[in-house]
Amino acid sequence: MTAVLERPAPVRPTGPTARARRLARRVAGPWTYAALVAVLAGSAFPVYWSFVVSSQTPDAIDTVPPVLVPGGNLFANIARVFDTTDFWLALMNSMVVSGTVTLSVVLFSTLAGFAFAKLKFRGRNLLLLLIIGTQAIPTELGIIPLYMMMAEFGWAGEIHAVIVPGLVTAFGVFFMRQYFERAIPDELLEAGRMDGCHSLRLFWHIALPAARPAAAVLGLFTFMQAWNDFFWPLVVLTPENPTVQTALSTLASGYTTDYTLVLTAATIGTVPVLAVFLLFGRQIVGGIMSGAVKG
Amino acid sequence: MAVIDKTTRRHRWDTRFAPYGYVAPYFLIFGVFGLFPLLYTVWVSLQQRNLIDADAARFVWFANYAQLLADPYFWNAMGNTLSLWLLTTVPQILLALWIAQLLNRKVRTRTLFRMGVILPNITSVAAVTIIFAQLFGRDFGLINWSLGLFGAGQIDWQAGTASSHIAIAVMVVWRWSGYHALIFLASMQAIPSSLYEAATLDGANGRQQFWRITVPLLRPQIIFSTIIATTGNMRLLAEPLLFNPGAAAATGGSDRQFQTAALYLYEQGFTKYEFGYSSAIAVVLAIATVIVAGLGYFVTKRIRTE
Amino acid sequence: MRPKALALGCAALAAAVVLSGCGSGTASGGKTKLTIGLFGNFGYAELFKEYMAAHPDVEISDRTASYSDHHKNLAAHLATSSGNADIEAVDTGYINQFKATPDKFVDFNTKGGEQLKDRWLPWKWEGSLSKDGKQIGYGTDVGGLAICYRRDLLQNAGLPADRDQVAALWPTWKDFMAAGKKFQEKAPEGVKWFDGGPSVLNAIVGQTPVGYYDKSDKIIVGENKDIKDGWDLVVDGVNSGLSSKLLYSTPVWNTGFKQGQFATVTCPAWQMAKIKDQAGPEAAGKWDVTSVPGGGGNWGGSYLTVPKSGKNIDKAVELAAWLTAPEQQAKVFKSAGLLPSTPKLYEDPAIVDYKNPYFNDAPIGKLFTDAAKKLNPQYQGPKAGDIQTAIGSAMQRVEQGKQNGEESWNQFVADVQK
Repeated sequence: MTAVLERPAPVRPTGPTARARRLARRVAGPWTYAALVAVLAGSAFPVYWSFVVSSQTPDAIDTVPPVLVPGGNLFANIARVFDTTDFWLALMNSMVVSGTVTLSVVLFSTLAGFAFAKLKFRGRNLLLLLIIGTQAIPTELGIIPLYMMMAEFGWAGEIHAVIVPGLVTAFGVFFMRQYFERAIPDELLEAGRMDGCHSLRLFWHIALPAARPAAAVLGLFTFMQAWNDFFWPLVVLTPENPTVQTALSTLASGYTTDYTLVLTAATIGTVPVLAVFLLFGRQIVGGIMSGAVKG
Repeated sequence: MAVIDKTTRRHRWDTRFAPYGYVAPYFLIFGVFGLFPLLYTVWVSLQQRNLIDADAARFVWFANYAQLLADPYFWNAMGNTLSLWLLTTVPQILLALWIAQLLNRKVRTRTLFRMGVILPNITSVAAVTIIFAQLFGRDFGLINWSLGLFGAGQIDWQAGTASSHIAIAVMVVWRWSGYHALIFLASMQAIPSSLYEAATLDGANGRQQFWRITVPLLRPQIIFSTIIATTGNMRLLAEPLLFNPGAAAATGGSDRQFQTAALYLYEQGFTKYEFGYSSAIAVVLAIATVIVAGLGYFVTKRIRTE
Repeated sequence: MRPKALALGCAALAAAVVLSGCGSGTASGGKTKLTIGLFGNFGYAELFKEYMAAHPDVEISDRTASYSDHHKNLAAHLATSSGNADIEAVDTGYINQFKATPDKFVDFNTKGGEQLKDRWLPWKWEGSLSKDGKQIGYGTDVGGLAICYRRDLLQNAGLPADRDQVAALWPTWKDFMAAGKKFQEKAPEGVKWFDGGPSVLNAIVGQTPVGYYDKSDKIIVGENKDIKDGWDLVVDGVNSGLSSKLLYSTPVWNTGFKQGQFATVTCPAWQMAKIKDQAGPEAAGKWDVTSVPGGGGNWGGSYLTVPKSGKNIDKAVELAAWLTAPEQQAKVFKSAGLLPSTPKLYEDPAIVDYKNPYFNDAPIGKLFTDAAKKLNPQYQGPKAGDIQTAIGSAMQRVEQGKQNGEESWNQFVADVQK
């Protein structure tokens, strides 16, 4: 798929049209690179700095002038994190929560997004409006009744309580719907229908393959969102059975506020998403592009 | 004939009912764990209800709302929310457009840059706020130290209204600009270059082309991003909560100078346990969010091709 | 095909549910697992080991959160009867709020608590006694007051460093501020007399006979002249540049210890453990402890409660009783500095003669048992903890230059009376 995305190698024709073309998709000059490097540095700096602190002794965090290069204490600090809290449990919990939520959101969003974009049914627009509308409502709004419900089910403190409300998202459905709208020509589906294809077949053979790039993007963002979710887990879980984020906040609000420890934990907690990101980032970026190109 | 009949029937069943099957899982789960709590919130908001003493709950009609509208701290929180909404959403969209435009050029190692800009988005709010709170520290923060190199005095970022809003906005903008940039970039690449070629022949420079061709054609994405950003930024909670750790964290500063509406909801609901009052805040905040998102929608909708 | 895909999704869901389904209550090997929810340092780590060694069938795990998070979560968990630890610590500032719903807790009087009553200071016992006579908590420590100070900083500023002479500097809080002004004249750049207005004010409030409430649970802080005088005194100190403007129990305050940004800090007994942890071993011997201006007073101190929703109530009650017994409180005093709430120990030579090496061998045993004997118990109302937080924010407004003393005081009084 990425091969399709590669633009043809730049040729250097002459004449006014060629000049115009060059202007339109300008080749980056030194200023562009300088700006991009600055953006990159700005993006990476806080994460880098957190890594620097986690590789230093606790004194480094409030030294003037600030310490900006990594030290040799990373592993000692990591060991301290695992000694201080059950960080394995936190990592494991976050993994289970994010994995399950991602799988479920992608599946259900693709199904519903396909139906909303490409199938006609009574009440479609109304239901879609409902989904768009619910996106505007802060999830914090329902947190009090949700907490009461979880307590009623006996799920308070258990990670099911974090998983279940995250199984579907309005954003996912909306996102996939937008994608399907543009990615699949109606004629293709019509042709399929003429051949007597059941809509499920259309979904499976036409929509799903076409949705892969978008599903991958949705999957990545859902995973990250689930991994980084803070407020609801903080309310419903106890420090005994935490996710990475609630473990972080426990560490940060614990009695000795040792920030080296907190930032080391933050660094460890970022590694799994960073790994997913580095492995699939290229496909994700490609997926976004291909969706737009086809549209 | 019978075979055709059966196929037709199946086909009709398929077109008529199958779509509901596809959207059913979403609505089932959302109904139970999304919609029901939302509606129940409205019910709770009509009660005088404290978590600690749930038995004493009683129905008070709109008393919570009346109290809310007369509550100066609520209006303070709404003001902060709107201020932070402006300070986060506008720079975020503009910065994203700028980054997308940079990335839209022929750049070597473009994957590196594209991935680089969404790096902030994969980090956790909790971790990032902890990091930024340290960077914005009064006595030993890196930012004050850097400003000190230019002769600026030490700023107590948490203390001032403007300074605290700026600090929080920096966190949000840092986190989300790259995400929106990629959304914009995707569509920029789809703009046929013939449009730019024609414009160039007409003598339009790069800046004019950007504002007259690129931005208008990105309108759907800008609307989308504005709405997403608005709904996110109207409910900022983790940033103001973790920016100022301590027993009074939920008040958002000594004089509530950076307490957002979501944080006020949290303060009332989860430090004072006033579930009824807190639910009323939630309902009003939701309405306000819809209004502001609508405002954003209409503003961005006015973007036109000239 | 759709059922297949769905089945796959469902299988993953089921797997997740199974994976996460770690039931609590019994640990592996048939042991009873007891959880204990704490905030700050109770000095219990060694005691847990000792108890588990003596009770092989019990496994104790503790979870520690910050002061405000802990009480906030406890309230939510109690209300929903879920997510509680088997034993939950409750601070003095919150005990009145929780004893208003005594049915959420085990009544220790029905579990033999009545017989243990004489262990504790009478006011400590009454502090956790509900209006209908149910005992919801066993007292841990009391927050007898002292002042911790940096010997080296005082000396460098031309003030005495010896603890008796230092104590002589400040018989009253007025003298304390006067000494501060003298200190500040010669203090190096960035070093202030005290850590922050809120912590000084808390100590002063802890010494007044009547606090934020009267005995009928009415908030009377607006009319309380003692507290207002204390407020004005601290505001004057802040305006004279004596404050580092760091709020206690925050990360920047912790850094302040490490960086030596202030010369004195009000020291309820439990504060000593914090100082030791935060200033670190390199500051050993630099800190010392002496008596507080204005006589005895109390700030903080806690109780152990057993929520009724727990699965192992009897074993939890047994552990709570053991942890708060005089013998254990004595150990905690020596290891973490927490002042016992059991008067028997105030005469115990092992306690009275105890000196703390970290604090330059300060005779903290004598110092704090004296403080405890002088202590006038002050009635704490239902939301004393919240009011303490509010008055801290009010003082911060003055420190940050957002309001003057009068404006901030008026706003505080209006806030808490809402």
